[in-house]
Amino acid sequence: MTTPTTRRAIALLVAVLLACAGCGSTTDAVGERETPTGGPPSPAGAKEVTSLPGGEQADTSCDPTASLRPQGTLPGPNDLPLDSTMAKIRQQGKLIVGVDQNTYKFGFRNPITGELEGFDLDMAREIAAAIFGDRNAIQLRVLVSAQRVDAVKNGDVNLVVETMTINCERRKDVEFSSVYYQAGQRVLVKKNSGFTGIDSLGGKKVCAAAESTSLTNIVNSASKPIGVEVPGWTDCLVMLQQNQVDAVSTDDTILAGLAAQDPFTEVVGKPISAEPYGMAIPKDQPDFVRFVNGVLERMRTDGTWTSIYNKWLSDLLGAAPAPPQARYRD
Amino acid sequence: MSAPTAPPPARVDEPGPPAGRVAELRELSKTTPGVLILFTAALVLVSVLVGVFTAVTVQSRAQALDDLAGSSGPLSIAAQDIYRSLSDADATANSAFLAGGLEAADVRARYDADIAQAESALAVAVAAREPADLADPTGPLAVLSGKLSVYTGLVETARANNHQGLPIGAAYQREASSLMRDELLPAAEQLYRDETARLADDQDSASSLPVVEILLGLVALGVLFFAQRFVRRRTRRRLNTGLAIATGAALVSLLWVLIATAGVAANVDASRDDGSTQTDVLARARIAALAARADETLTLVARGSGAEFEEDYGKVRDQLTGDRGLLEQAASLASDGAVRDKITAATANLRSWHEVHVDIRTADDSGDYAKAVGLTIGRGDDSAAVRFDKVDTNLREAIAATTTTFDDEVSQASNALTGTVIGVILLALVMAAGSVAGIWQRLKEYR
Repeated sequence: MTTPTTRRAIALLVAVLLACAGCGSTTDAVGERETPTGGPPSPAGAKEVTSLPGGEQADTSCDPTASLRPQGTLPGPNDLPLDSTMAKIRQQGKLIVGVDQNTYKFGFRNPITGELEGFDLDMAREIAAAIFGDRNAIQLRVLVSAQRVDAVKNGDVNLVVETMTINCERRKDVEFSSVYYQAGQRVLVKKNSGFTGIDSLGGKKVCAAAESTSLTNIVNSASKPIGVEVPGWTDCLVMLQQNQVDAVSTDDTILAGLAAQDPFTEVVGKPISAEPYGMAIPKDQPDFVRFVNGVLERMRTDGTWTSIYNKWLSDLLGAAPAPPQARYRD
Repeated sequence: MSAPTAPPPARVDEPGPPAGRVAELRELSKTTPGVLILFTAALVLVSVLVGVFTAVTVQSRAQALDDLAGSSGPLSIAAQDIYRSLSDADATANSAFLAGGLEAADVRARYDADIAQAESALAVAVAAREPADLADPTGPLAVLSGKLSVYTGLVETARANNHQGLPIGAAYQREASSLMRDELLPAAEQLYRDETARLADDQDSASSLPVVEILLGLVALGVLFFAQRFVRRRTRRRLNTGLAIATGAALVSLLWVLIATAGVAANVDASRDDGSTQTDVLARARIAALAARADETLTLVARGSGAEFEEDYGKVRDQLTGDRGLLEQAASLASDGAVRDKITAATANLRSWHEVHVDIRTADDSGDYAKAVGLTIGRGDDSAAVRFDKVDTNLREAIAATTTTFDDEVSQASNALTGTVIGVILLALVMAAGSVAGIWQRLKEYR
């Protein structure tokens, strides 16, 4: 007996069964796949910069390297003038110094010991020794280039010793010691890259630390390279090694430190600017500026400067030159 | 006068003038045997529908339970593992840079174990997805599987440079760490949230009200009721054995499904309240503790320019221990004494860890960096590393306990459904057979 109804029922049953059989086995379709981009990430804070104020029309509103003359003989650690800045620093127990941890041979973290050391660190220790009679009475605060001026201005540190170029713009916010090192800006490239200096890098990416004078010089140079700013100098070498930039341009001293970490790079071109380094000190502490200049004066004459230079830099830059002469505005 | 039971003169179904099926049916329904035949057809149809649809819905419930036990449950654990091990790997790699010199063998082993665990959990998470889910290069799984190797590559470059005493090693480590914090960890967190949402969906569909089953059961009982009333009125017999058996089968089927799903719902609710909800809060607490530990380490690695990490430490600590913080939530949710004890221990250990943290900050801020580093990565009882590990262990054990509860409840729920599919199909067949037999008995009398 096959009535239309039963036939329909059977048809429905078959349909339901088929539907159920289908629901278990969807095909694993491989969707449209976008080609992923590989490669390393950029270091934190890296970004491109194509224009910055300043540079070519350099601020000549001041005589940048003229500092304050030391007064009388340098007081020893135990007879610092009462109420002087030095006496206050002595009371706080340690000299707080802003330094770098990324500039090989100047201010860097020794991976073996975990300690910060370098030319700048030894310079700072000499100041500590003059105040406390103890080279280790020092508290280090790592600053990236962009933090240096504010750290001094806000009184977070007593002193910044961090490959810091003296210029008029910074002089508006902080006071500088006399010049303790004379550097010049050059260019670091990969060997056999064909680049010969900043003039051959038009439209290419050139790395420097944020808010450094080097970055301003790069962006404003006639060949118009693209500036890439990062927090620290070693970040630039990372980007050069990872082919994210074509060159690094800054002071020859810093570049020598980078080149020493990568034998496949070289420093090329003539210096494109003079970079006199000074220690940055709060503006309202002229007594401390004169004191620091006194210590620097002593180091120039008693051979301390030369021995510190030889300890850190002669391997990179050859025999020690004469210490840079101090200039004073009295 | 003929009794109502006497068969009326049988009408011969002659193929009349062109009549549609509807007319045919109308003709048929005017005679008792015709109605009986229609009832038979309806009952068979309803039986088949009840059997098939009830079996299908019970099966989908069982599938949701299988997913809970075998897919969304383990996957949310895997996502949690990915986050935890990546975060710990980064904190470990960074702390190796604090110590100076080559990292200690156990520090390296911990990093290796973290990466191995992250990779295996990631493989599990990837394998569970359809290939199309990985097509979006910004999706969490694509980011994780694409960038993890970049991360490990950077860490190895950092180590290689470090071995040669070059400061650029630290720069590579910073690059790696920022990749971890900016891309990998957010992707892992997204993955965890996705998997937890899937788990909640599976729990919802496993414990949903059996509306379809109830409706079908009631329809079957209704048709059987009308069939029996018709047969009783036309035949004056109180009981039709076949139809009675069919009714019994329909009732048993409905009750079986009701009892089984009520049991499932109870177990699944327990798996949520005593299991996954607590696991989620505990897992988030564990992730927050890891983040706080990473912040503590990075503050020191940054040497004085790590204020943002210390700020983040404060925020994460508030999430953990603040008012209605994660630990407080976990404690109020805890339904098991052992879990509550672990949470109490974790809270106490977190407090003693924070005491060391305050000492670390005091030491670092006053210039005693060496002491700060010693307190942070030392292995003594008074070090932050050891106290953090205690917090982590407490939370890990609490998570293990709530996960076990979850697994138990889900497997009990699965047991509650055992045989239900076969049962409802067999009962539907009994119902169909009973209906046909019962009505056939009456229909014979018209021959």
